[in-house]
Amino acid sequence: MSMTRRMFVIGGAAIGGGLALGVIGVGTHLALHDRLDVQREGTPKDTLLNLWIRVNEDNTVTVLSPHTEMGQGAGTGLTQIVADELDLNWDQIKLELAPPTTEFSNGGIFEGFVGEMVGKAPPWAEHIARNAFNRLADLLNMQMTGGSGSIRFTGWQVMREAAAAARKMLINAAIDKHGASANTTTDAGFVIDGDKRWSYGELVEHAATLEVPENYTHRAQSDRKFIGKAMPRHDLPEKVFNETQYGIDRHVEGMRYAAIAHSGVFGADVASIENIDEITAMRGVIAVEKMGASVAVIADNPWRAEKAAKSLKLSAVSHENSKMNSASIEAFQRKSLQGDLTDAHTVGDVTSIKSDSSETVEAEFWVPYLAHATMEPMNASAWMEENKLHVAAGVQNPLYARVHAAKIADMDVDHVVFHAHSMGGGFGRRVGFSMSGDNPIMWIDEVVTLVKKHKFPIKLTWSREADTRQDVYRPAVLANFSAQLDINGKPNYWKSASYGSEGGAPASMTPYNVDNVQVQFANHPSPVPTGFWRSVENTQHAFFNESFIDMLAEKAQIDPIEYRLSLLDKNDRHAKCLIEVAKLCNWKHGVNADGKAMGVAVQKSFGTMVATVAEVSIQYDKARVHRVWIVTDSGVVVNPDSAKAQVEGGMLFGLTAALYGRCDIENGGVKQSNFHDYPIIKMNEAPTCHIKLLQSDNEPGGFGEVGVPTIAPAVANALALFGKRPTRLPINA
Amino acid sequence: MISITLNGREQSFDVEGDMPLLWLIREEAGLRGTKFGCGIAQCGACTVHIDGQAVRSCVFPAIAAQDKQVNTVETLGSKDVPHALQTAWLKHQVPQCGYCQSGMMMAAAALLKNIPKPSDADIDTAMTNICRCGTYSRVKAAILDAAKEMSS
Repeated sequence: MSMTRRMFVIGGAAIGGGLALGVIGVGTHLALHDRLDVQREGTPKDTLLNLWIRVNEDNTVTVLSPHTEMGQGAGTGLTQIVADELDLNWDQIKLELAPPTTEFSNGGIFEGFVGEMVGKAPPWAEHIARNAFNRLADLLNMQMTGGSGSIRFTGWQVMREAAAAARKMLINAAIDKHGASANTTTDAGFVIDGDKRWSYGELVEHAATLEVPENYTHRAQSDRKFIGKAMPRHDLPEKVFNETQYGIDRHVEGMRYAAIAHSGVFGADVASIENIDEITAMRGVIAVEKMGASVAVIADNPWRAEKAAKSLKLSAVSHENSKMNSASIEAFQRKSLQGDLTDAHTVGDVTSIKSDSSETVEAEFWVPYLAHATMEPMNASAWMEENKLHVAAGVQNPLYARVHAAKIADMDVDHVVFHAHSMGGGFGRRVGFSMSGDNPIMWIDEVVTLVKKHKFPIKLTWSREADTRQDVYRPAVLANFSAQLDINGKPNYWKSASYGSEGGAPASMTPYNVDNVQVQFANHPSPVPTGFWRSVENTQHAFFNESFIDMLAEKAQIDPIEYRLSLLDKNDRHAKCLIEVAKLCNWKHGVNADGKAMGVAVQKSFGTMVATVAEVSIQYDKARVHRVWIVTDSGVVVNPDSAKAQVEGGMLFGLTAALYGRCDIENGGVKQSNFHDYPIIKMNEAPTCHIKLLQSDNEPGGFGEVGVPTIAPAVANALALFGKRPTRLPINA
Repeated sequence: MISITLNGREQSFDVEGDMPLLWLIREEAGLRGTKFGCGIAQCGACTVHIDGQAVRSCVFPAIAAQDKQVNTVETLGSKDVPHALQTAWLKHQVPQCGYCQSGMMMAAAALLKNIPKPSDADIDTAMTNICRCGTYSRVKAAILDAAKEMSS
């Protein structure tokens, strides 16, 4: 098999010895851009080299992963794939973070996945493409961790190919150099021909001189030793023994500390500091700097810097956003949904159905803005060393951050060294760009600006309050739905309209068989910064669609699982997961004798189908979730233990949003500030979680985000059985 | 000057009395295993032991630790001599991003000191740390496992 798409494997000698293999992708992004009608600078010969594995002379293999670690643990999965495809022992494989240089860009892969995700590129993808990928230079600067894509794209579609080609090259080297026979094969780190054995390390020098084979075979499923096994994560011993250095732990001799205060109104600069003398007189304060929308205080200790920053009395430049609040945003969205709408999905003709109000179901849904609230607050360190600027931070896109830092510093990128740290949570917060075009990594801008001026090393740490109030938020969305049931209780039309460009994504489309469907959206620029929040548009649209189908089942007085199944093809993956989850939870419809009820929801995202059942009761007028059952269907599962950890973690992330998450807008800024008013589910509220992973030999689906979308509608659908269906989140407001 | 017995060693620090112990530990003493998460004692990433009890150091004034025994996560165990909790944490593959886990393990260590054989409810009551990755079920399983190991 060779790579059939627009990528192919290349190989050669690695610097310092050994055989290096990577993948060139050139056509993928060009094809997407043709569809988007975006002109690109550069020519097809500007290829994208990415994602290398290196077979070393000491008979080990290094996987150079472009993906930074934020809790997902995908690096271990990548080594499992390579170890199996290259036929290695577990102790031969090493994982290394690729450096933030263009040779290790994964822009081609990432853009390819945007293309794959969207099929026909809808406007939201176009927006991303125009913002992030419209020039080849930008694409070369992508080193992205996101989109639940590490295993299914980097691992399965790229590293697996490179590893298979490497194995074939090692066999060819034995044939070419040692006259090995055509029956030559491999055995756990050795090339073998009858009783002759050569270690990979002995063969790499010669292999590196050979052409990369066009045809090679993947190892059979029965030969796999690591894929499908719960291999322990490479990164956990250092996390448990306290050796992991997060960005916030970076220390440089002579370091000073900066804290920040923002204007408090999105888009508005700070006009003046009213009490600067008082601030500069505080113990340890070294400097106070006004920088556009923020003011930084530099001090000799981070607490002194923060104490001074919290004491700043600032006035914001007058800005139209200062009158903005949640109610005005919601009213604007409601008005927009009455105006011109863009079609996202059309089946049949919804206007062909005569209205019969007795059988019509209508609903309006609202979900609020949400902050990411990573455990490690935003921070970055910077310092000058000789003529080079060093920047250290945990980001989901180190190469992009490095290039961005160079732009801010007005320096050649070759003079900027970026140190990518493990992240104390990412969830989309630490990507370099956003949906609204706002800069989510302005802490890098701030620290670079300060170091350029003051020359000494600085660590900038945002307070929890600064992070909560200066995020790129999960968009708030208003949506309205209507449908009409026929005499069998089936919908004869399904109409929905939602606010925001993500309303054009596949997540907004109903998976159910309805003869007449109209899915539309309205979109205008967002005055509130919006970004990629774990599971992105799936979080809102699964709540809308899966609540609404449940309302139809309720109106038709049919069991909600039975109702969904009656609107799905027998072999549909939604149906498969619904049937499995019903078995797993011993599904019963209705409130039981203990005062508990089950609710269900199903959603496909990132290549993985997920069905979730939540068991809920009402205690002191609040929803309480006791147990959750989740079935996923996602092809090959590379590491089932990691997959389960992600699914359960994603469910809890979604449950926090469903029960508590809200960022209210007041006077142009976010009202909430810290965990007391932006609470996160704790252990005593975490439901027990039963997960079943359906596996096949199909291409793997993602896991990092897929647990999030279905829990909110599952809980809402359970609450409906108590006569308390929530159509606005959060539920326990 | 504030005198503290930090990780078994008596040390003096020239800091304000109201400086939270967290920042003394991280920046004045240079021990960065103790994490900053919220600054208002909500998340527990900054949990340390003062005279054996779990305390959220981000709101604990340094002056209040005067002449007390303060132990940080650096004293919990090492790869060579792991604490039973660390062994259980690895067995159950608990951490995801790992940022909250030093505070989690310190809270768990204090719990096991007070209640060597905790019930599920004891663990729920004692473990009020926030984990944004959602590792709670594994944290609980690892604590139960470590408790069994330590009492055997």
